[in-house]
Amino acid sequence: MKLDRRQFIKQAAISSAYATAGALFPGVSFGDWNKLANNSGVISWQKTPCRFCGTGCGVLVGVSDGRAVAVKGDPSCSVNKGLCCMKGYHSVQALYGKDRLTTAKIRKNGSLVEVPIQEALDLVAEKLKETRDKHGKDSIAMYGSGQWTIPDGYVASKLFKGCLGTNNVEANARLCMASAVTGFMTSFGLDEPMGCYDDIDHANVYITWGNNMAEMHPVLFSRMIANRKRRKNVKIIDFATRHTRTSLAADTSILFKPQTDLAVANAICYEIINNGWVNTNFVNEHVSFRKGKTNIGYGTEDHFTFKEKAEPINFDEFKTFLEDYTPEKVEKISGVPAKDIKYLAALYGDPEIKVTSFWCMGMNQHTRGTWINNLVYNIHLLVGKISTPGNSPFSLTGQPSACGTVREVGTLTHKLPHGVVMKEEHRKMAAEIWDVPLSNIDPKPSYHTVEMFRALDRGDIRFMWIQVTNPMVTMPKLKRYREGALKDDRFIVVSDVYPTPTTDVADVILPAAMWIEQEGLFGNSERRTQHFAQIIDPPGEAMSDTWQIIEVARRLGFEKQFSWSKDDYIKRIWEEYRRFHAGPKHEMAPYDVLEARSGVQWPFVNGKETKWRYNPKYDPACSNGKEFDFYGKKDHRAVIWQRPYEPAAESPDSEYNFWLNTGRVIEHWHTGSMTRRVPVLHNAVPAAYVELHPEDAAELGVVDGEMVKIISRRGEIIMPAQIKGRGVPAKGMVFVPFFDESYLINEVTLDAFCPISKQPDYKKCAVKLEKV
Amino acid sequence: MKKLKGKVKAVSSAAALGFACIFVINGTTPVSSAENMPIFDNQGRKIYHALEKTPGTNLAADSWGRTLADFYKLRQYPGSPPRIPHEVDLSFSGKETDCLSCHEQGGFSPEYGKFAPVTPHPENALCYQCHVPVQTEELFVETDWQSIQPPRLGRSALGGSPPPVPHSLQLRENCVSCHTGPGAVVEIRITHANRGDCRQCHATVVQTAPLKLFERK
Repeated sequence: MKLDRRQFIKQAAISSAYATAGALFPGVSFGDWNKLANNSGVISWQKTPCRFCGTGCGVLVGVSDGRAVAVKGDPSCSVNKGLCCMKGYHSVQALYGKDRLTTAKIRKNGSLVEVPIQEALDLVAEKLKETRDKHGKDSIAMYGSGQWTIPDGYVASKLFKGCLGTNNVEANARLCMASAVTGFMTSFGLDEPMGCYDDIDHANVYITWGNNMAEMHPVLFSRMIANRKRRKNVKIIDFATRHTRTSLAADTSILFKPQTDLAVANAICYEIINNGWVNTNFVNEHVSFRKGKTNIGYGTEDHFTFKEKAEPINFDEFKTFLEDYTPEKVEKISGVPAKDIKYLAALYGDPEIKVTSFWCMGMNQHTRGTWINNLVYNIHLLVGKISTPGNSPFSLTGQPSACGTVREVGTLTHKLPHGVVMKEEHRKMAAEIWDVPLSNIDPKPSYHTVEMFRALDRGDIRFMWIQVTNPMVTMPKLKRYREGALKDDRFIVVSDVYPTPTTDVADVILPAAMWIEQEGLFGNSERRTQHFAQIIDPPGEAMSDTWQIIEVARRLGFEKQFSWSKDDYIKRIWEEYRRFHAGPKHEMAPYDVLEARSGVQWPFVNGKETKWRYNPKYDPACSNGKEFDFYGKKDHRAVIWQRPYEPAAESPDSEYNFWLNTGRVIEHWHTGSMTRRVPVLHNAVPAAYVELHPEDAAELGVVDGEMVKIISRRGEIIMPAQIKGRGVPAKGMVFVPFFDESYLINEVTLDAFCPISKQPDYKKCAVKLEKV
Repeated sequence: MKKLKGKVKAVSSAAALGFACIFVINGTTPVSSAENMPIFDNQGRKIYHALEKTPGTNLAADSWGRTLADFYKLRQYPGSPPRIPHEVDLSFSGKETDCLSCHEQGGFSPEYGKFAPVTPHPENALCYQCHVPVQTEELFVETDWQSIQPPRLGRSALGGSPPPVPHSLQLRENCVSCHTGPGAVVEIRITHANRGDCRQCHATVVQTAPLKLFERK
């Protein structure tokens, strides 16, 4: 907001007229915060999606004299309708930690030295080229993030896949929603939810599968609570391995043993069929049945590969398969009383009740993550509760642009902005839009995230550029990957906004512009693309991640592909990227529309957003003339998958006798590198802790606050116990939040992953405890 | 929190008895039905309902030594959700009635020796979504956070004319919750809440909003 001279004079006149009256309480200074000096007193409010989770709340940032000074919820954003959570309200404070990285640094003789950013970018380009020449095109890698803006991810993919010819592009979203993607792809043939947040306003029952929404997606959870208050016949059912704030707010809370959600989901299907609750018409018209491989392994060894072999089956074969999963049999595996399983089945089975299922990391960070995603879709498909308002299997995301940047732009080794590298027509499209030779794009995927860090350790990868993420806190079995990154002859570039354990291993640190210090776009959980303008200036030499990549690309000789000007590069990139998604199944809104609105859902066809996909009432891409059209699959049918229960990669035994579960708390987001720099959030939860069941604590002789050693086969960590805190794990389980770099819980976790999605399981491994 | 609940209930329900004779007989709809009304507009009806529901003793209560500066101390910028200034159980596990049992209508807490301030938005029941407890005053790293001055008080345009509402009304459209009763500190306290439709006289002139000049086209 700029005032011209005339406005300024007028404003000043009004202010001085008030000044006398304003002296009613002289000498009283309100507020403990530092006040801007010579402040104009005028705030301009500008829209942006929130910086943190995947909900994608619209926030309005108040700017005064070039600084972000306040936040309010954006009333015109349908996601949150003017309400935020504590992280959103204080998000702008994360910009102003005193240790912001404002200059580039390079490592000389072991220590980091400040250099002009242009010199650091020269070095990055030089090292990248040198490594590629010496060790081959697959010795260089880019590791990004679901916090990358869409243009960040797009230019990264264009440079590495299109220009440099390596598929070594991955993002931390592999650790957070890869199983959701493979779940969608195997069941529906297209990624991302069919429904939207409006389902909350229509459903009668919300079932949260291993999902502490009250803390992790509080704005959506409070929308559920408000619905329960306002409408009759609305219930929240919490289905979890640990007693949380969600359990407390729920009408019913059902606990299951880790990994046995697979068995319970099958038992629900058994009950639905056994009681005649199948929506036969829907199943006959819109569903096919398949089975895949079983005993598929856990990927804990290097070079692990898996190839699915899908076979068609029929309804009767599926029914026979389910006979192993009667509620009584599953009670023995899962610890869930048969009557509770029957209760869940009855909710899904009752044709009068609209059911929305929510899940996030509990189902995705799972060595059978793809399977459990499939199984929950099975339930919704059997009863036909899908793609209609209130009936929705809804996979939530944890990062602001996990969907927008990683899933839609395709910043994963096998993906392209449209389709996959394995398919020639998809490579052709990319080569044409990117203006690169078709032969540049390698048809073979290279490394997924865990294997990429293993390759760095082995020496197959020698150069890695890490942007907007903190893998030296978040990689499971962390010690191996940290030591790998620190080996001689590895060159690590880190673009970030604050010092972290990842910048500690860097050879070059590039200071990045954060969030509203640059123009960008995010994509939230409900297919909503959200544009934000550059609202304030980045500090010092900090530069947007997109522009950093463009600078390096130009130094490598790709001026033609990266020719945009600094004035409008985001708009140009968006219009180029949009071409990949043309057509009614994925049409993205034009730049001007995104600039004007608080988010727009895709497919955006003929000026209209699509709220429910696969339903011709809402979705113009439907073409089969039927009530539903699952057009992601060639036969226009969604798939019910026969997937058995298989145990976790590592379960407690007589020596390592506890489950270890990890996760988040409402105050902190991810590794805390931003939220810990927000005073109120750090003041509320200043350090991590290990949650113990009170009986386990008593047996161990530990009281609240005493130190406990957690030991696994990978490593150990000593941290304070918390007993009867906000969460209480089941007996035989401990829970540790991962936000605190002083207590690196991933030293202890296991790098087992889902063989289909390659997403690690951070929720289950075996540990033993000792009182210190 | 929990400890406080039983005691407060006793006080406020006793007070409510006398109060009911005066107001509740009117048979007005409860506050929750007003949820679907358009927001950020005159909320006169909502304010009347809030007033009607508040026990007389609570309305008569003052802030017991608290000042506006005390309330601002709990915030990071004008309008930020205040922190929780009193101890809460570690389990602070968000049973929606925990906070609202004291903060929906206000009531006397013998434990703190004060009346509880009243929330202007009791329809939002997941209180810990925005309001955080305090475990430590230490910072993780120093901050360079700066914000603007809170709105100045007493900005009547003419001597004695009704002062405008200087702040945004988002989540704060129920004027009586902060400007009368136990949450109302002396600087912003008013004595004529029973007139109800506050914005009949007090125009919303958000001080931080840029001045827009009328230009004839």
